[in-house]
Amino acid sequence: MAYSVNSETINNATEVINQLAIFLRTAKVHNINNTAVISATDKFVSLVNNIIGLENTIVLEIRGEYFYFNDYRIRYSPEYILNLDSLIREFKKVELGTILIKNKISPEDIKVFIGLFLKSHLSENPFDYLKDGMSDIASIQLKKIQTISDETLDKRKIVKRIYFNAVSFYKEIFNKVRNDEKINLKRAKRVITSVINQIIEQEQILLGMTAIKDYDEYTYHHSTNVSILSVALGRRMDMNHKMLIDLGIASIFHDIGKIEVPNEILNKPSNLNDSEWRIIKKHPKWGVNAILKMRSIDDLTINSAIVAFEHHMNINHTGYPQVENPAALDLFSRIVSIVDQYDAMTANRIYRSNPMSPDTTLRELQEKSWEKLDPLVFKFFVNMIGIYPIGTLVMLNSKELGLVFENNQDFLHRPRIMIISDNKGNWIKGHLVDLADKNGNDEYLRTIIKTMNPKHYNINLAEYLL
Amino acid sequence: MEICEQLTTVRNIIQAILKAKKIVNLYPENNPIYIKALKELSDRFSEFFQDNESLKLNIDKNTIFYDSESVYQNSAMLDNLALLFFKDGVRELTFKNGLTAKETEAFIKIISLDFEKDTIDEDVVTLFWEKDLDNIQYIVEDQFLSDDYEKKAMDELQQKTSTPESIEEIYSAIFSEEEGSKNEIILPVTDEDFHSLLEEFDKHNQDKTDKSLNMLFELFSEVEKEQEYLDIVNYFKMFIEFFIKKGNINAVVDVQSRLKKLIDNERTDREIRKCAVKLLSFTGGYSIIDLIGNILNSSQKIEENVFKSFVSFLDTNAILPFMKLLGELKAIHTRKLVIDALVYLGKKDISSLYKGLNDPRWYVVRNMAYILRKINDKNAFTYLLKPLEHEDIRVRKEVIRTLGELGGDKAITSLQRCLHDNNIHVRKTALSALGNTGAAAAKQIIMEQISDKAFNDNSFDEKKQYFEALANWKDRDVYDFLVKMLSKRSFFPGSKDYDNKACAVYCLGLIGRKDAIPILNEYKNNSNKLLREYSFSAVQRIENGI
Repeated sequence: MAYSVNSETINNATEVINQLAIFLRTAKVHNINNTAVISATDKFVSLVNNIIGLENTIVLEIRGEYFYFNDYRIRYSPEYILNLDSLIREFKKVELGTILIKNKISPEDIKVFIGLFLKSHLSENPFDYLKDGMSDIASIQLKKIQTISDETLDKRKIVKRIYFNAVSFYKEIFNKVRNDEKINLKRAKRVITSVINQIIEQEQILLGMTAIKDYDEYTYHHSTNVSILSVALGRRMDMNHKMLIDLGIASIFHDIGKIEVPNEILNKPSNLNDSEWRIIKKHPKWGVNAILKMRSIDDLTINSAIVAFEHHMNINHTGYPQVENPAALDLFSRIVSIVDQYDAMTANRIYRSNPMSPDTTLRELQEKSWEKLDPLVFKFFVNMIGIYPIGTLVMLNSKELGLVFENNQDFLHRPRIMIISDNKGNWIKGHLVDLADKNGNDEYLRTIIKTMNPKHYNINLAEYLL
Repeated sequence: MEICEQLTTVRNIIQAILKAKKIVNLYPENNPIYIKALKELSDRFSEFFQDNESLKLNIDKNTIFYDSESVYQNSAMLDNLALLFFKDGVRELTFKNGLTAKETEAFIKIISLDFEKDTIDEDVVTLFWEKDLDNIQYIVEDQFLSDDYEKKAMDELQQKTSTPESIEEIYSAIFSEEEGSKNEIILPVTDEDFHSLLEEFDKHNQDKTDKSLNMLFELFSEVEKEQEYLDIVNYFKMFIEFFIKKGNINAVVDVQSRLKKLIDNERTDREIRKCAVKLLSFTGGYSIIDLIGNILNSSQKIEENVFKSFVSFLDTNAILPFMKLLGELKAIHTRKLVIDALVYLGKKDISSLYKGLNDPRWYVVRNMAYILRKINDKNAFTYLLKPLEHEDIRVRKEVIRTLGELGGDKAITSLQRCLHDNNIHVRKTALSALGNTGAAAAKQIIMEQISDKAFNDNSFDEKKQYFEALANWKDRDVYDFLVKMLSKRSFFPGSKDYDNKACAVYCLGLIGRKDAIPILNEYKNNSNKLLREYSFSAVQRIENGI
């Protein structure tokens, strides 16, 4: 029989997970006997024992990418999303699938658990290490995360397929618009839905896909990337499913007006002259034209047309097109504007021999365009993309070279790195290291000391990220 | 539960789904039949979940399976539940114990949509996904996925593989300190940021009319080529229709007002002005007025002042569509809005209104007669003659009232004829209309009618109506006529004479001249009760100045 859910249960569930995440994070940074850790322990124990008094049992379980509390799936609310994400990652790292608490617990029980949990990372069999260590504590039982099939294991392959299919579909859309053909919006929404599902389940892999810029068909990849990054950002902002689909569709079409721009201007290897710039600056209006020609008017069409029209406008009313009565820019436009600039600045273009590295781009956007971009959206963007975005080439204090492979939402400055050279400068086929890992003396094993642009050295990101 | 029993329960669930699917399209949510169908389905699910944790259905093109057994079979192309899921890629559908009534209803509402309609932009899978139903899971085969582009793109990337030598280059660059940096942007997200986001979402979901219109007018101001003019006019039309379909007449008024400014501005480009005129005219065309009719016929509220503003920008081309609408309107309370619109527009082109007088629907002709009365253009007279003969007395009465207000010799002559209409109500209306004209000719007609022998054949009520009409003239002529009538010895002695005299007394009372009091007093003690009572009332009326 299904567990009956009331609002108190939901609050309890969210609070337990939140406190556990805070507790783990504090314990990672401080010694187990530190006041902050002790305070977090007491808070957590008191919360758990209260719930045990009411419910008798607590079952905290991971299924897929969600936490279930006494069989109830926890919904990700904005204020807890980062904690939930990071906790899922931590559980998976030590292969912990379920925590079952049957009786009241003591602070000592929890201290033992946390101590083992943090050390289990270093063990070859982290779950066994954790479970063995907990065998004397009867009130807490642990279960290993359920084994998943080979097919599911190959998530990277699925994400890759979804990504390329999205590009292929967007290419088809552009061609249809070019030929004044009708677009199948049902299919477009399905493509967006599949992309969003991957963002929910495999955000980092998909973000990694957008970091590869070596494709020949820039326009389609750029539109796909903008769409993926926009939706990922929308999800970080806790948009509901409908808003995410609308944002996904609107962002696909943001540059559709470029269809009208002659290729010799779009791909001109040298600087554009004034008259060529005038043509480029017309693409937002041409975009509106293309969208309005494409389908009848509804809220989705209006949102898409507004994004196409406003994505080069700035919040300080600079940018283009210049309008008679400038008004506040739409939220979707502000999202797409940041994402569009970021993706374009990091891309290889015929007219730009040296595209910026992802981290330099973020810095550039922050320093030079601060008054032009929405600070709130930018903040969420940086937190999603990471201080060292995926694909950034880094030198570690170990003198190894690596590429940022995945972000760590708890410690944005300590991402997971794919090592590409050893400390002697010998090329090695990458293996992953986590910059959040510590040695027995509570010191980080590796730290970034410098970042560089992989493009300067012809490093093919695809080789590592795909 | 035995497998046979389970299969029966599952088949019952499918049947309940099919039944609910039909019913939700036919009845509103608060209808008992609607509620019952969903309740039945929930009961079926509950029955199954007493012994099972989940119900997993496998979907094939024409068949739905439970535990490898067929529980639904249909090979038709229409109304095929299996095909509905299958064509959108659903291959497995699982209902979990804990399924709520809300989730069941959401599920039924989705599958009961007409997915063949162009207006539905989602398929079953996208809608399930949007709803994010906790206890309904599905496995989908994404048929749109293919490897073709992936292979091509991967081949391109293969050719750009980096060489190990470049590592040395990086190393030397880093150690020569020519390359490399480390500037971390730290922008922690705070609770306040999440609150700000909620406000942003609210703003995002607000109406985007102004923004859309500003965008459209920006495009409009920069069109150059002929095709662009055609396109922009088309976009405006689409937006206007969209606004009206949403009941947003305010937005249309905004468009009209901005178009009018463009038209009135001398500096506006000639082509743009032409487009603006065309668009303004479009707002009064059949398609838009028909949509307005949908709103007027619905329960949607329409603000009178907004509607008036809308009409104020319309041109005469809106007259015929509004007249058409007048014939189609079902809601009586909104009829006045359309009539007022036609009164306003009809002043600009009254001849278009005359067509409405030939409408086969009596109520349209009647409304048109009313509208012509409000416009009060004497030229309408000729066109009113035909409906004056209309078979419906409500029309004849309305036309008579209009003729009465238009006045003029021709109208009075027509009204005189109406005094012989075979319907007493029409005759009474004609009398009242004649009285309202205040014309001497009309007075003369009434007096002649009263003096006519045949007058005595009228009922007392009708006679009284004549004198009421006559009382509109409070002049000497009428006074003398009445006094003379009272003093005259009748050729028709008896009750009819008393009836006539009572009416004359009544009329003197209505006229209210004090010099009539002595004459009236003479009849206060008359042997005829009717005359006595009428005289008494008339005197009182004059003395009290009523």
